[in-house]
Amino acid sequence: MATDKSNPNFDQVDWDDIASNSGRELSTNAIGTLISTGVLVAILLYDYFIVPANSATFEAVGWGYDVIPLDYMFAFTLILFGFYAVLPLYQNPRMTRYYWKEFRKNRPAVVSLIWLIAIFLLGVLGPLFISPTESELFRKYQPPIWMTIDQNYVIECVGTLAGGACAGTWQHPLGTTQGGKDILTMIIYGMQISMKVGFISTLIAVVIGTAFGTVSAYAGGMVDEVLMRYVDIQQSIPTLILYLLIIYIFGGGLWLLILLLGIFSWEGMARYVRSKALSVTEEEYMKATKISGASSYRIIRHHVIPNSASSIITDITLLIPAFLLAEAQLSFLGLGDSSVPSWGQLISAGRSDLSFAPWIVLAPGLVLFLTILAFNFLGDALLDALNPEAETESE
Amino acid sequence: MTDPDEPLVSVRDLKKHYPIKEGILSRQVGAAKAVDGVSFDIYPGETLGLVGESGCGKSTAGSSIIRLEDATGGEVLFNGGGRAGRTRNDDGTHPNDVTRFDERELKAFRRDAQMIFQDPSSSFDPRMTVGNSVAELLQVHGMTDRDRRRRIVQNLLERVGLSADDYDRYPHEFSGGQKQRIALARALVLNPDFIVADEPVSALDVSIKAEILSLINDLQEEFGLSLLFISHDMSVIREVCDRVAVMYLGEIVEIGKTEQIFSDPAHPYTEALLSAIPNPDPRSTHEGIELKGTVPSPSDPPSGCRFHTRCHRVIQSEEFDLDQSAWRSVLNLRDRAIAREIDVESVREFVAAETDTDPESVPPDAVKAEIRAEFDLPEQLSDPEAERVLSDALDRMVDDDVEAATETLMEVFTTPCEETKPELLDHGDGHQSSCLRNEPDVGAEAVATASDD
Repeated sequence: MATDKSNPNFDQVDWDDIASNSGRELSTNAIGTLISTGVLVAILLYDYFIVPANSATFEAVGWGYDVIPLDYMFAFTLILFGFYAVLPLYQNPRMTRYYWKEFRKNRPAVVSLIWLIAIFLLGVLGPLFISPTESELFRKYQPPIWMTIDQNYVIECVGTLAGGACAGTWQHPLGTTQGGKDILTMIIYGMQISMKVGFISTLIAVVIGTAFGTVSAYAGGMVDEVLMRYVDIQQSIPTLILYLLIIYIFGGGLWLLILLLGIFSWEGMARYVRSKALSVTEEEYMKATKISGASSYRIIRHHVIPNSASSIITDITLLIPAFLLAEAQLSFLGLGDSSVPSWGQLISAGRSDLSFAPWIVLAPGLVLFLTILAFNFLGDALLDALNPEAETESE
Repeated sequence: MTDPDEPLVSVRDLKKHYPIKEGILSRQVGAAKAVDGVSFDIYPGETLGLVGESGCGKSTAGSSIIRLEDATGGEVLFNGGGRAGRTRNDDGTHPNDVTRFDERELKAFRRDAQMIFQDPSSSFDPRMTVGNSVAELLQVHGMTDRDRRRRIVQNLLERVGLSADDYDRYPHEFSGGQKQRIALARALVLNPDFIVADEPVSALDVSIKAEILSLINDLQEEFGLSLLFISHDMSVIREVCDRVAVMYLGEIVEIGKTEQIFSDPAHPYTEALLSAIPNPDPRSTHEGIELKGTVPSPSDPPSGCRFHTRCHRVIQSEEFDLDQSAWRSVLNLRDRAIAREIDVESVREFVAAETDTDPESVPPDAVKAEIRAEFDLPEQLSDPEAERVLSDALDRMVDDDVEAATETLMEVFTTPCEETKPELLDHGDGHQSSCLRNEPDVGAEAVATASDD
């Protein structure tokens, strides 16, 4: 039977032919991810093999930005985020509109979202175009524009000196540190660090946690038992001590911190996702999908995970602030990577000057505080938007 | 498949037991025999109804046949999809046995056999458009052409009475009836030969129900489908089925053509089910048969005929000739006594509360009368010997000697139904039933052995 491909009648499909010639079908998302990752790998190889060790990656086109390994990880995370979180919103406009309508009801969450998008864009794009701030000892302890400082503390007042007090200027809107570095620039650089910590660690945690949770719930029985007992075991490993041990042996580094945060924080997510996935697998459409002949991978990927998404997403909004705080805390304790200008480093550097130059601590502290608050508001609103029943239950 | 004499599906001695596990080592302590040796055939283009109470195993039978669950025993031969005419292997297994299909064969089988589920509200992925839910089957089976999938599904949606635009809508935007139409489309899209419909209309309104049933009939005619139609509703069965199999506690008790079953039921359980159909004639004096008690646990089914614990026509032992309803009541009393479920003390307290007296001073006769009333027993059994035994047993019961009372009841009131397992007996033209009443010789024999004890 010649198969006429334009024939819309389901009973005139030559299934033997189709089933034996079936190739693999790639979704737009997968193709986009593959191409972008390919480009990224090409740049990586170019950077590694062709560009001389001490010159910037894009020297050839006259751009002085040198890409460090962590940037590649970050870029890869962003590619996945773009193709599997942002693009689907565009692909399912009706669902997106519905969720937006639900989400919009929560004003603080909308403000939070704007704040987070601003942080994200500034953090990702800012460091590409703003050159890092240099130490200028003569300009130390410049106050923010609306503040003044006793002239004894400053060597050279950039703004106006009046009555023994140095006022802030627009040159350094948020003032400078004891090393004379511009705090605003440092905060923007810190945004990128925070985004890296937030995105990469979360990606690691989400991938492992979701895989464990859904597979465990879907497979059940012995598989469930083994996976969840492993989660128990890993949860009893003291991560902080492990981290201290590792920086003692290998020396600290931001990438190490990110990796450890990601690898040792998915247990809660695995449990949370599992409990949601368990209820999903009991639904009748699971049977209908099984009867269709779909593979377990397909069922988990296309049915269990999307239907557990509300749990995954709300858990993400809890994980990210936890990661940001963990990084800041470790930096404050002096256990972080002192070569990166993270918010935690800045806070830690400013603590000795708190009495006369509080902005060094307060500016990054406030940004960190607002960011974490924003994530919490966002999580709340997302939970309500994605899972309307949860809201009615809690009331 | 072209041979109308060869069944499309042959189910042989199908069993599905769920292990019951206990303790920290999860040792198996028993099994719930949800389906316990079921056999029937479904011919091309035919609809077989599978009917029974909730919990009788009919849905489990359906999902074991289609291998949504793995059967514990027996075989399901599927001869559709170009598998016809194959013969048994040397080791006695059959190449068409669904329960033994490997992964590749199973996937091919999925194209030939599909299923419709009971609850239209949960049978679609809420995060997928219905079009994608239906088209997913095409994709799973290797159709990589996205536009072609869309064309086929849109065409099919129109055939089941919806519009092509519905492709991009989500399940919650449809009513139950519409969803069941989409479920039909999903079951049809791979062009199967056989569909298991598990209570497809029981969640729908009456008017919608009729529409869906006629749609099923039309589609079946148009595409020559065979159906296994699972339902607890005899009136629906009468409308769509060519043949009916009645299930009770994991076994088929009667099977035959729909007209035969409805006009001349040979098993008391079928009678009871039929009497539950509402009769629209207000002058009809037809009285419903009330089945008392719940379905016994499938993990410990009653001996002999599994229906004897609830049967309104349970056979009397030879020496008695009681009113049938009284006999049923006597057996109910006996069974409850054996299960230690008769609490004389609380009966006494109940009587005391009714008559406003002290429980101590309630006369034994009042307690006995209350027990009789509880079990619908007449004040006096028509058979004097039976009456003597019964009242003796009640006396002992009131004297708190439940043990002895139970023993007396067990010794005297026996029925062949609990001792002999009835065989499926042919009434001609494919009508079979398993009831001792239809087997005069076996029945008499059983009575004889019973009186020997």
